[in-house]
Amino acid sequence: MISMGAPTPNPSPKMREGLKKRKFPLIARWSNRLFLRNSWPKRVGVGLLYALLTILLILFMTPVYGAIVTAFKSAAEVSTGGYWTPPASLATENFARVMDPEDGNLGLYLQNSLLLTIPAALFSIALGTLAGYGLGKYKFRGDALLFIFIVAGMFLPPQIALIPVFRLMNDIGLYDTLWAVIIIHTAFGIPICTLVMRNFFQIVPNALREAALIDGANEYMIFLRIMLPLTLPALAVLATLQFTWIWNDFLWPFILTQKADSRTIMVGILNLTGQYTVDWGGQAAASLIGSLPTLFIFIFFQRYFIRGLTLGAVKG
Amino acid sequence: MLKRHPWLIPASFLTLPLLVYFTFVILPTLNSLYYSFTDWVGYGDDFNFVGLANFEKIFTDRLFGNAIKNTAIWLVLAMTAPTGFGLVLALALQGKRRINAIYKSLFYLPICLSPIIIGIIWVWLYSPKLGIVNIFLRALSLDHLATAWLANPNTTLYAVFVAWAWQQTGLTMVIFLAGLTSVPTPLVEAAKVDGANYWQTLRKVVLPMLRPATVVVFALTAINALKSFEVIWVMTMGGPFNKSDTLAVFMYSESFRKFKMGYGSSAAVVLFVMTMVIIALYFRQTSKAEELYD
Repeated sequence: MISMGAPTPNPSPKMREGLKKRKFPLIARWSNRLFLRNSWPKRVGVGLLYALLTILLILFMTPVYGAIVTAFKSAAEVSTGGYWTPPASLATENFARVMDPEDGNLGLYLQNSLLLTIPAALFSIALGTLAGYGLGKYKFRGDALLFIFIVAGMFLPPQIALIPVFRLMNDIGLYDTLWAVIIIHTAFGIPICTLVMRNFFQIVPNALREAALIDGANEYMIFLRIMLPLTLPALAVLATLQFTWIWNDFLWPFILTQKADSRTIMVGILNLTGQYTVDWGGQAAASLIGSLPTLFIFIFFQRYFIRGLTLGAVKG
Repeated sequence: MLKRHPWLIPASFLTLPLLVYFTFVILPTLNSLYYSFTDWVGYGDDFNFVGLANFEKIFTDRLFGNAIKNTAIWLVLAMTAPTGFGLVLALALQGKRRINAIYKSLFYLPICLSPIIIGIIWVWLYSPKLGIVNIFLRALSLDHLATAWLANPNTTLYAVFVAWAWQQTGLTMVIFLAGLTSVPTPLVEAAKVDGANYWQTLRKVVLPMLRPATVVVFALTAINALKSFEVIWVMTMGGPFNKSDTLAVFMYSESFRKFKMGYGSSAAVVLFVMTMVIIALYFRQTSKAEELYD
């Protein structure tokens, strides 16, 4: 909140000492930050604000909590104890059941999703880097128009292309293969990747390029040797974004694939819900398994992921 | 050679991406327009050009009217609830305290989940007997409010919407927080020195400065709302009695369940036109906003 950052009268030195010497340094540091710098009415205000935020957060996290506790419960426990109490013992039978090739078969679908997501993310980023470099570092007639033409694709609802792509993939014999989905995600990823890379290349100083030109490097050597190594942060942003979207996508693999050999994890999880309509534990375990890769990215590369979200949104 | 044709170099970078983009994004979009004038059924080449018949039919189709109505409700809710909630959270958590970083991460968390998984989780939350929503209501002695949220025609659309909004809130919050970093601190400090209280500063200084971010949030939310399909499909498939059937779901069921591809295409075209209108409004607003702040 805006009014809280300002330095206001400090509490007595004695009280400050008291708080500093607590047994729990982390809690002491937080409470110092929250309370010590402010006057009493403000302290109450801050306390109330965080109490409210904490209640909201608990409500907000309820679905996630429910999924986690249910995944570790046996079927008997779910049907007697509801889903909301902590599990009596950490049962892993749900995970074993959904991963079993004879049962949920999620192992195969996870593998398919990886085989689809990684190439599709790489291809879309590679093509976006090429287009972004062409648009960000060169001026030519119609470049602005071409840029808008590409970026406009970000806003297209996938529904408009659903039927023709379904037909096209049938015609070229790629229907029901992972390649169909890889190609479509590559193509639909080009707009966001071009946008981010073009904006990135625009801020790379031209002096770098000119110096290399004088040294006798040609345009492609400059791109490969000088520009590409610089793009690492932008590539990280795009890699987290593209991986998350493609991994989580359902509509395209749902339309373009049919048999188990080319089924992705999200389609597989939905099939599971049809198969065992009351197997809450299995569904919860499958949901956790299916979310692990994106959760991993979210936890360890959150900075890049959030940057990507704002870049795509604010500039688009 | 290269000097005389400077476009050759950018062209060598742009050809491949443009080719892929054109073949698999632009061409299908144009093709969809074409199919919307035919009676194609999803297989074979045996179909007729029927002119505007699909559109004539669609605008008198009771189910289409119902889908439009649900989409409109969905849009209005999307523009208000997750947007307002995201703004409030962004304002509350914008400071540099370390605790804020943790809270923010947790509110962002649903963004990285698949809509399929969100749908599955929320189906349990709404489960009539064991779902937490009804357990909570009963605990508050509000038994009369407890209902089968997804099976009840009166609540189904709103129940699905809440699940969708759960994810959307984090997204609007990200954009509002990015917008808030561009509000200059001296301006806020100056308002405080002049004796403005928190609400006055918010209304007269911060919110006007957030205008560009707000425009982005509205546009993005509207576009996301129009194309949202997965959460609805997982939770209700548009039912019961088509009460949660939006345009995106209608388009899918007509094309891929009833195999009326031509007819489904015309629904997709309507969806496309609605998106285009929103994008046009958005670009008009952003150019206005840029004039204001340049």
